[in-house]
Amino acid sequence: MSRSDVLVDADWVEAHLGDPGVVLVEVDEDTTAYDKGHIANAVKIDWKKDLQDPVRRDFVDKHGFEELLSARGISNDDLVILYGGNNNWFAAYAYWYFRLYGHANVKLLDGGRKKWELDSRDLVTDVVQRPRTSYHAADPDTSIRAFRDEVIAAIGQRNLVDVRSPDEFSGKLLAPAHLPQEQAQRAGHIPTAKNVPWSKAANDDGTFKSDDDLRKLYGDEAGLDFGRDTIAYCRIGERSAHTWFVLHELLDQPKVKNYDGSWTEYGSLVGVPIELGAGR
Amino acid sequence: MTGEPQGCGAPAGGVAVTENSSGEAIIQGTVSAGGAPVQVGYARLLNDDGEFVAEVPLGSDGGFRFFAAPGTWTVRVLAPGGARADETVSADRGRTSTLAVSVAAPGS
Repeated sequence: MSRSDVLVDADWVEAHLGDPGVVLVEVDEDTTAYDKGHIANAVKIDWKKDLQDPVRRDFVDKHGFEELLSARGISNDDLVILYGGNNNWFAAYAYWYFRLYGHANVKLLDGGRKKWELDSRDLVTDVVQRPRTSYHAADPDTSIRAFRDEVIAAIGQRNLVDVRSPDEFSGKLLAPAHLPQEQAQRAGHIPTAKNVPWSKAANDDGTFKSDDDLRKLYGDEAGLDFGRDTIAYCRIGERSAHTWFVLHELLDQPKVKNYDGSWTEYGSLVGVPIELGAGR
Repeated sequence: MTGEPQGCGAPAGGVAVTENSSGEAIIQGTVSAGGAPVQVGYARLLNDDGEFVAEVPLGSDGGFRFFAAPGTWTVRVLAPGGARADETVSADRGRTSTLAVSVAAPGS
């Protein structure tokens, strides 16, 4: 797969945002940014309300995903362009989620909302109403999703990539520093995990670094064994979806899973090993 | 707040301070250009190795807020037109460090 199969840039979006068969979707946890201004013709997906089960901690099921996409007017053969704030974390999470449910034609807007804003490109408040469709999802593809038992079994066996900031990895912080630090889980990281913060894969403006830079980052610098399977995690699975995208989609690593339970699950488990400090 | 873990999303301007924030090491501030608040832009928090730690979009008053840990940090501001500024700040628990960051006005 090449970069152009999974990424578009802002110029491409400006030229194609009215094309039939192209659907722009803004994804975020806090959708007030969309409400204040979004790219013309974009519909919105709310990471929490639309993509999380309201009762259990899990995804919406296949039927729920079909209902969501049908209501947003997205067809199975549409090209879906995802973008969002927070350096595209939630858009990358949605990308992984769309792939999990078998949507073939989906791409990310490189740089997401931030690059678009820093370029001073147009945002609108008109909300487009797309006609309802009848979307059919595939069964979830668990070859790209990791669960806790598999993560524990992977200690020392597979590549574990902790994509949080160095301060969360070492145990100094329990959450990204824009969030209060009062959290229920223990601090630290999964033993044998390598710390490659998601931010190292992106430029300041939110665009992805070049394939060569990315290969150097995970290979030469972090010492990831590309011959082994990989599990990426963070605190709740969005930042690691960004890294999953880099490893699986940009660098074409065949066996990469995102552990969406991540530190909020692992750091709350009784009896599992935890390592503190800068890692080895 | 339910049992569902909160995502890691950063609201514009940062998370509000509450009565539970008294033990936090808060770094906050506002960004202006030519005396007016910068409403479109981003504040990034870097640790003392220059590594990225967090980022929030600026609020409508140009404001941002981080919940850090004791130590020295850098706040990097990005705004349209390539404007940027770095400010170093120290933080400690139970203290709020407030910055006033100015960037070049657009077109100046």
